Amino acid sequence: MLRAVSRPAPDVRARKSPPPAATAEASAASIDLFESKPSAANAASARVAELRFGQVGIAQLKLHSLDPALVYADVEARVRAAPQLFEGAPLVLDLSALDAVPAAAAVRALIDAVHGAGLHPVGLAAGEEGVVALARALDLPLFAKLRAEREPAPVPEAAAVPVTVAADADPAPEPVVVEVPVPAEARPVGQHHADPVRSGQRLYARGTDLTVAAVVGHGAEVIADGSIHIYGVLRGRALAGARGDASARIYCQNFQAELVAIAGQYRVFEEPVADLHGKPVQAWLEGDKLRLAPLS
Amino acid sequence: MTEIIVVTSGKGGVGKTTSSASIAMGLARRGKRVAVIDFDVGLRNLDLIMGCERRVVYDFVNVIQGEATLKQALIKDKRFDNLHVLAASQTRDKDALTKEGVERVLNELKEMAFDIILCDSPAGIEKGAFLAMYFADRAIVVVNPEVSSVRDSDRILGLLASKTRHAESGEKRVAQHLLLTRYNPERVERGDMMSIADVQEILGLEVLGVIPESESVLAGSNAGNPVILDTASNAGQAYDDAVARLLGESVPMRFTEAQKKGFLTRLFGG
Repeated sequence: MLRAVSRPAPDVRARKSPPPAATAEASAASIDLFESKPSAANAASARVAELRFGQVGIAQLKLHSLDPALVYADVEARVRAAPQLFEGAPLVLDLSALDAVPAAAAVRALIDAVHGAGLHPVGLAAGEEGVVALARALDLPLFAKLRAEREPAPVPEAAAVPVTVAADADPAPEPVVVEVPVPAEARPVGQHHADPVRSGQRLYARGTDLTVAAVVGHGAEVIADGSIHIYGVLRGRALAGARGDASARIYCQNFQAELVAIAGQYRVFEEPVADLHGKPVQAWLEGDKLRLAPLS
Repeated sequence: MTEIIVVTSGKGGVGKTTSSASIAMGLARRGKRVAVIDFDVGLRNLDLIMGCERRVVYDFVNVIQGEATLKQALIKDKRFDNLHVLAASQTRDKDALTKEGVERVLNELKEMAFDIILCDSPAGIEKGAFLAMYFADRAIVVVNPEVSSVRDSDRILGLLASKTRHAESGEKRVAQHLLLTRYNPERVERGDMMSIADVQEILGLEVLGVIPESESVLAGSNAGNPVILDTASNAGQAYDDAVARLLGESVPMRFTEAQKKGFLTRLFGG
């Protein structure tokens, strides 16, 4: 299965002087400690690199098979179904569903298969102990699993190395590491689109809801990881929960859709459905079943 | 202030060149200094419909490639000397057009103080059509009252909103107008042609003009006299109304209702 996780990563920022207000600033959540006053002497050198950690949404590919050909076929079909969704997107391989930790050569073959299918594996999902050795053997980073607070998740090495900026006058060699935990449900505010979505156009709201305050024409496609709201006629296709969120819904003011999908469950409308056509309609998932009903 | 207007459609054969010729004539007749450019490199038609095909010495591609000056290539119309035609090349293909080249020619035309530069787009959404619309301030999307034409127009309207200079800079949007051609009110009434309301509803735009299906359109094109010059024809008058609306006048729609046949015509045929 393919699902997306958001990995809350510590927000590490470094500065050269001991900030008396650091704790206060940290509790203010969004801070930029870099706006400290670098002295004229090192003003230039202080800006060579900035290391920041943010929250990233990353797709996880949970493998149930070790057969590269089968994996290739499966992944390729998914990519073909939504090429834009996966374009350039990184991917973490989750081996936890396999019976045993596979050999490095087998995983390498799997990575090649997934890459060949058009996705970009960037690391392994942390799991059993054997995975740590495997990641080392493959020279791949490990990604801590989401919602795995119980297990002491191995932190990717980069996160453990804070940037140290040489201190001059200030007697403070210790870099300040500020951790701002980002709640997993902190999503960007929904994406809004006011213009008509025309034939051949495709809108994708990554990681959030999509609101279209206009018509979605025949042959147009609106996609969201969250729910979709259309204040206009839906004549084209609407795909909500594009990364597997089964609680996503689709609402539209005037239903004339060609296709509706939620979390991969789709329905095509070859003929207009009498009870729904031209009416305000919502669509949702009940188990694996895609349901549609007029909004009353 | 020069305005660049593209006449486009996506689908072929809906009347882009016919409309470009008539609109260019109509604007010139109303006193505007007009240059009309045929972007359909490889299949030049505009000069035929404008009746200047035997005076084409240099063309658009020659100017872009520096083989001729713009002054040498512009053909002055015999009826209105404030109307100039820049013909397409018959012997090249659309790869001969470049974004930089097109921009340079348009800038040169602006320096020549034309009021309006009309770009007659080729069909399709390939390079020629892309370059014809890229620099436009306004777009006239020619559409026939049938589903495939409406669908293609929707596609073109989407491209106008995203793949033009104005859209890319985000400064302003390309103004969009619909021109409904080959409209036959009798067939609409019988239900075998889409109505104005259907087209407007699907595309979400008001029509700039509705040109009735008319034999005089073809006759005019064949003779090199754009139908707008045929002031007795419905199509010619409808084009003139559309030109007036393009210039901001408010003119009621005509020729959009089916003629009620009187008792005698029904009796004796009409």
